[in-house]
Amino acid sequence: MILRKRGRRAALILAGTATLTLTACKDDQVDAQSFPDLESCIAASKQNELWFTEDDCRKNFDAAKQEFMETAPRYASKELCEQEHGVGNCGGDPAAQQQSGGGFSFMPLFMGYMLGSMMSRGGGIFSQPMVRTADGKYATPKGDQSFATNRGAGKVPAQSFQRAPTTLGKPPMSATQVNQRGGFGASATSRPSSSGGRSSFGG
Amino acid sequence: MEKRHLPERPGWRDEARKLGFTFADMGGEPYWDETSAYRFTLHEIENDLEAPATELDALCREAVSQAIADDYWLERMAIPPEQRDFIADSWRRGEPALYGRMDLAYDGTGPAKLLEYNADTPTSLYESASFQWLWFEQQQQAGVLGPDSDQFNSIHESLVERFAEINTPAEDVHFAADPDNPEDYATVETLAWAAREAGLGAHFTALSAIGLSEDGQFADAESRVIGTLFKLYPWEDMLRDEFAPHLQSSGTRFIEPPWKALVSNKAILPLLWQIAPGHPNLLPAFFLEDVADALTGGSPAPHVAQAFAAAEAQLRAGHVTKPIFSREGAGVSLIQPGKPPVTTPDDSYSHHPMIVQALAPLPDFDGFHPVVGAWIIGETCTGIGLREDRSRITHNLSRFKPHFIEG
Repeated sequence: MILRKRGRRAALILAGTATLTLTACKDDQVDAQSFPDLESCIAASKQNELWFTEDDCRKNFDAAKQEFMETAPRYASKELCEQEHGVGNCGGDPAAQQQSGGGFSFMPLFMGYMLGSMMSRGGGIFSQPMVRTADGKYATPKGDQSFATNRGAGKVPAQSFQRAPTTLGKPPMSATQVNQRGGFGASATSRPSSSGGRSSFGG
Repeated sequence: MEKRHLPERPGWRDEARKLGFTFADMGGEPYWDETSAYRFTLHEIENDLEAPATELDALCREAVSQAIADDYWLERMAIPPEQRDFIADSWRRGEPALYGRMDLAYDGTGPAKLLEYNADTPTSLYESASFQWLWFEQQQQAGVLGPDSDQFNSIHESLVERFAEINTPAEDVHFAADPDNPEDYATVETLAWAAREAGLGAHFTALSAIGLSEDGQFADAESRVIGTLFKLYPWEDMLRDEFAPHLQSSGTRFIEPPWKALVSNKAILPLLWQIAPGHPNLLPAFFLEDVADALTGGSPAPHVAQAFAAAEAQLRAGHVTKPIFSREGAGVSLIQPGKPPVTTPDDSYSHHPMIVQALAPLPDFDGFHPVVGAWIIGETCTGIGLREDRSRITHNLSRFKPHFIEG
């Protein structure tokens, strides 16, 4: 069998959905540890030779709480939320009162947070909040990585610490009130050419 | 590598029209040109283009990890100070790249040389991934190309895989571009097809129609909140536009990620040369500010004196100057001793800091100079597309040429 360099499909010809595999490079794995609460993080930080301090625990607990408020999924009903996160794992949205319009006022409960060491990538400790999944596991709001527990240490892909799209205000694709348009496209680094205007934003 | 004259497919222009490839001719000149095609051996593709391009992409990410923690480099790359945390965060979180195109000088003999890396807003994706793919399919069926011939082009499939890998199932992705530019639009449409095939929701919005909501989120033309935004619009402009202060607080996830601002920036070329001097696929590169005096008989800046001395003969034999921000050849000058300088008339980026790069003379095939565009999808080279021009500086009207593998 000769190994072909040419794909079997192009956008012109539709041949059904591809079989997809999720892979992560070993290089991209970072040290991570998760905690159900601040206290268990602080307790762990006092053991020897760990990569985070009590201060990291505190700062990242606050950051994770805030990120949870900004990016955890929001739902129109408690039933819908429990479908995604399991019965008993959902509650009201504490930010709902401040929002105009409302309509998405249920969200999963904050189940702790995961710390990750980005030392090998140039800096610092990052964190993500954790919520339950429908199958009884734990996941970050982005949802593409799930974990058996919220109290363990191991290696996870650095991408696990990628922020989920924000749901505070309005979740993606929901209607919103737009105050201003046209704030992108001024091409600030380009000035009119002596040979005529620019044609493309790409190249 | 050779250029082979081949019969055109009868009726390909009608087919192009039918498929919506409306810019197959531009400015009265052919843009898609299949009167001839470039032929490579499998060894040339795998050893001289595919493997080096993938390796260069990894080297670029190494350069990012160095620059991101160093204000000296961020300053030289003209990254606005107020946006540096935003960019650094995107890197440390491991926000994944989608695609990029490396432009390589290659003549089939020596190692391919990196001219520049459009890692942020590359176009000509439809031509490379789709129309070139179809050309091969039809020419092989017609017997113009042999049954054992091949093409280095799994761009579409790898895009589908990458979209699935870097997004959650059924995630909604907005694609923003200038709808009045057919080339730009074709590129985002090609991407959107791949995203849909990966099971994602793909929505187009005109770049200029993006709005800011009362909650500080970005919204599309229909006032729907944008969670994930692919933008065919350069980061160096995003970072300076009126909406720039809202980039981070909007919570939007961007594709390409913000750290790509450092890769598509031509200031990465001197950094790559500093990290890997003498790399077979790199050309010596410096900031013009550091070596301008030295090139006219004076001294280089002390911190590059040693590197400059090692590359001086090569630079004197010919070099190119180009602005750190520039696309489609704008602001590029080509300087060779005893010859008048060659410059592009488009000077819209010439007020930015310049870099100097040793000249890699492009090969000459029938009076045309081809540049190999190596597509990086994710972190892997998965295909190529060639552009050629009578001028030695490739620009936006340069012709696209199909390629095939034989032998």
